[in-house]
Parts: sequence; structure tokens; C-alpha cells
Amino acid sequence: MLLTLMYPLLLLGGAVLAAQSSVNGRLGSTVGVLTSAWLTFSMGAVVTFLLVFFFEPHHEATLFSVPKWQLTGALFGVIYMLAIVFAIPRVGTAAATVAVISGQMLMSLMIDHFGWLGNARLPLDGPRIMAIILLASALCLIYMSNTRRERLVACSS
Amino acid sequence: MPQLTILILVLCAGMGLSVEAGLLGPLGEQVGHLSATLSIFLVGALLLSLAMVFVARPSISILFNQPRWLLTGGLLGPVYVVVLTVTTPLVGVGMTMVGILCGQVAASLVIDHFGWLGSERRAVDSYRVGALVLILAALWLIY
Repeated sequence: MLLTLMYPLLLLGGAVLAAQSSVNGRLGSTVGVLTSAWLTFSMGAVVTFLLVFFFEPHHEATLFSVPKWQLTGALFGVIYMLAIVFAIPRVGTAAATVAVISGQMLMSLMIDHFGWLGNARLPLDGPRIMAIILLASALCLIYMSNTRRERLVACSS
Repeated sequence: MPQLTILILVLCAGMGLSVEAGLLGPLGEQVGHLSATLSIFLVGALLLSLAMVFVARPSISILFNQPRWLLTGGLLGPVYVVVLTVTTPLVGVGMTMVGILCGQVAASLVIDHFGWLGSERRAVDSYRVGALVLILAALWLIY
């Protein structure tokens, strides 16, 4: 029972990500990429700070005691947010989402293959290479859908 | 900037996101997942605050002239994190990723199709349906 409730929740979590990108892209086109990203991170920090304060169980280690390199993930998060806010008004939510997911999968397959960041090595095999080819094709299709639409818009105007 | 360049840029940003996830997972094990997420938002907010100081005309005043729903982007990110922390122990990392990605791609096609959230309308066509099928097949192969 509990498990079947998890699947709609997961889909909702994904849908929320797409909605967030779209809202930020829209905001970025009026107030600028940097301001939009700044607001997102500031609001996110406020909300997660409250969540940590009230709901985080106690842990031996704290953010102040772990090695500093473990805290550098935010750099990638900031670059991502700037890129997505820039891209969405120009290419649409679907194209940007598919490009992000392709990049994520490509990199996570590489991390697995080389065992980077202290992860166990999971070498690239047939199915994984096939998956990369499928993702690249999906990105091509969205790109073709966009360019075809641009041609149609150009013809009708 | 041509579309293709933008897509490659976003693809690279996505690669960075996986590195972030690779750092975040082990960090969350040690300090708690909410704290790990806080570190991302807090460090990001502070870095961007510094960057704002050096921008010619940061548009904070315009920001609060926008309709309020446009400012909710920052509230949605934590929703995702909460979903992730609740579901991962119950259904496993693989299933969690598949579910999230399916929801994400499907919602992005729907948002484009109807032009929701102030985005431009880009109707679902056979290319887009094909892309969705390919992504589902790729997910099935990986997980």
C-alpha cells in the first residue's frame, strides 16, 4: 500500500523539477539569469534551513567537520541553474530537460566506469552503451522537433 | 546563440549535476540528507550574492514587481529533495531515479505543449513522442 503511493510521489517530484525550471526560465527572461538563480538558491536555502532545524535527525558529523571538498557540489549546482535559466526561454522546457538528463546520465555512466569520487567501478557494457546512443537520439529528435517548428513559424509569418 | 550550442551547454551543465549528486550522496550519509542539501543551497546563495554585488544593475526591485508565482522556483527545489529522502529508502535508488526522470520528461513535454507557466507553446509532435520512448528505453537499459 505504502509502496504504491510512492510511485505517484516520484512522478510528482520529477514534475516539480520541470515546473521549477520553467518558472525560473520565465523569471530569468524578465529579471536576468543571475537574479533568477540568486532568488532560487536564497529561497532554497531558507526552506532547507528550516527543514534541517526541525526535522534533521542527529548525526555525528556536521557540515563544519567534513572535509571541505565535499562541500564543493554547490559550484556545479550554480552553473547548472545559470545554464538552465538561460536556455529555457530559448529552446523550451522539454529540450532543456532532455539535454540535462542526457548529460547527467552520460556523466554518471562515466563516474561508474572509471570509479570516480570514491564510487565502485561498474564498467560500460553493451546495454549501457546502447542507452547512451538512445539518449543521444532522443536529444536529436527534440532538436529536430524544435527546428521544424521554427521553419513553420518562419513560413507562416 | 544557435540552438545546438545552447543544448550542448545544457548537456555539460547536466554532467556537472551528476558530479554534484556524486558528492551529495556520501555527504548526506555522513551529515544527513537535509543538511547536505542545505550546504548546496547555502553555498550557492552566498556565491551568487557575491556575484550580484558586482553586476552592473542587479534587478532586485524588478524582482518584487513580478507576479508572486514567478518567485516560487526556490520553493519547488526542496519539495524534490524531500520526495527523494522519503522514497529512496523505500523503493531504492534505481527506481527513484527512473520515477523522477519519467515525471520530469513527461511534465516538460506537457508544459511545452500547453504553454503553461508562461512558456512558449511547442506542441507534442511525433518527434517528441519518439524522444520520450527512447528515453524510457534508455532508463530501462540502465536500471
